[in-house]
Amino acid sequence: MSDQDQILVKVREAFKTAFDVDPQLVTMDTTYSDIAAWDSTGHLSLAATLEEVFGISLDVDELNEMESVRDIVRIITPKLSKKVQSDSRC
Amino acid sequence: MTAAAEWNFAGRLVKRLGPNSCLIDAATGQTVSPADLPRLIPAIGTALLRAGLRKGDRVLIGCSLSPASALVYLGAMYAGLVVVPVEDRGLAASVAALVEATGARAVWTEAGLHGKGIDLGSVLSLEGNLAEDVAAIMPPAPCEESDLAALMATSGSTGVPRFVMVSHGNLIANTEAIIRSQLLTNDERAMLILPLNYCFGASVMHTHLYQGGSVIFDRRFMFPDKVLHAIAQFGCTTFAGVPTAYNVLLRRSNMRRIAMPTLRRFLQAGGALGRERISEMRSAFPTIRFYVMYGQTEATARISCMEPERWDEKLGSVGRPLDNLTVRIVDEEGNDLPAGQVGELVVKGPSICSGYLGDPEETRGIFCNGCLRTRDLAHRDEEGYLWIVGRKGAFVKMRGIRVSLAEVTAKVTAIPGVYECAARAVDHPEAGEALVLFIVPDEGARIVAEEIRRELPVHWTLDSVHLVSELPKTSSGKIALSSVSA
Repeated sequence: MSDQDQILVKVREAFKTAFDVDPQLVTMDTTYSDIAAWDSTGHLSLAATLEEVFGISLDVDELNEMESVRDIVRIITPKLSKKVQSDSRC
Repeated sequence: MTAAAEWNFAGRLVKRLGPNSCLIDAATGQTVSPADLPRLIPAIGTALLRAGLRKGDRVLIGCSLSPASALVYLGAMYAGLVVVPVEDRGLAASVAALVEATGARAVWTEAGLHGKGIDLGSVLSLEGNLAEDVAAIMPPAPCEESDLAALMATSGSTGVPRFVMVSHGNLIANTEAIIRSQLLTNDERAMLILPLNYCFGASVMHTHLYQGGSVIFDRRFMFPDKVLHAIAQFGCTTFAGVPTAYNVLLRRSNMRRIAMPTLRRFLQAGGALGRERISEMRSAFPTIRFYVMYGQTEATARISCMEPERWDEKLGSVGRPLDNLTVRIVDEEGNDLPAGQVGELVVKGPSICSGYLGDPEETRGIFCNGCLRTRDLAHRDEEGYLWIVGRKGAFVKMRGIRVSLAEVTAKVTAIPGVYECAARAVDHPEAGEALVLFIVPDEGARIVAEEIRRELPVHWTLDSVHLVSELPKTSSGKIALSSVSA
């Protein structure tokens, strides 16, 4: 399984936690228009879940860019590689 | 009194539309033009009557932030039907109960309910664009002032649906008073991120169209920068939000970097926004007028308005009553209290609704002799400005002293490092009751429960402090206290 696939699995779980949707229905092409619960409150809940699941923090610009699963994976991927580097330094 | 077309609220609104009146979906740019709007509303009304509905019939309208649901809402009202705006999201699951509770004869949704396994029996299921014949414009249905125009679900945090009966006369009186209080002109453009099934959202649409302006709908407030860019793109003059919306703007947006040269006013209602947050908004946008309003669904929408000129002296007040309302502050026996003393806020005037649908007992307790008992506790200062201090029943009694939960949240929110707070009371073996606090810290702030304890009055007993990243909110953005749990 590629790194991206592994990230997608965790993102799907975050969607289940935040929006109570079937993770199998969440694909890279899923956008905010596809999920009724993805409103302003839902978005913050999703962000909090992603931060917890991946151990990262998302800034204002990133929150404003997370319109789809593809965007989320794009934003999270470099953060994880930075995290691995800093973790391995410890 | 004779039924006359001029009491039809939507009829009046259509008559007042002008060359600046349009509806725009910000996400797609789809626009209902000033030429089409006054024809589409009556055309939709005609289509609803042709579908078999009669004056006074109730229509559930699944509302999303789009011109389509706004058109059906206004078209139904124009035709003399009673609109029941409800949240479109999750409607499939709740539609049967809503039909039962409201006696609706039809349900309209933008996408339709077919294929969702719903059996509505004899109730009409309508969808999409209903306007077939825009050439034959019918006049508005004759209405009496007291005729029912809408059933509005109360947006409380308990989750139990209850419908307030709103008349055409209520809507006209409240809309006109709000327009006067906000000095709206005929070139206004409202950015609407609040749904029409919430009375604050509906009132923003009513006032702007009634005054000949426009409404821009934007369902993308999860990406606040998009909404701020849309304000600039569509030349919006008004932004309306509940406290959560302002907290999101202050914390989760680049509002200080996005130019919004056309914006004239911020409207805030739907609960108390922290004084510090109001000051932050005002210092970030010194030239944009910041209005705080107080209201209830039972009073159609708005009751008072705090004009921006007096902020420096009146920070924390909800302003003065609208000019067609009389407000009293009364004690438990209903006696008037002098300035400065706290009592229940009671309102009288033409925008006070007639009661709750199918609930005469609750109606008798809240609405009496044309007055609304708001259950909010407030005092009035010498100049007539109202200061809400809490909600009847929303108290915690610690060591024999009653403290309102509103006072608790205001004090905690004022502590440096605290961004947002919710409080609730729990039983306590020594103090009788104690406080449970849910705190959203400021970005990067480290909050220690002991520090919070030190900042609070000594007689307050703290059971626990929970640090959370977000407080749960209702669909209109209010804090859902019932969902706050440790």
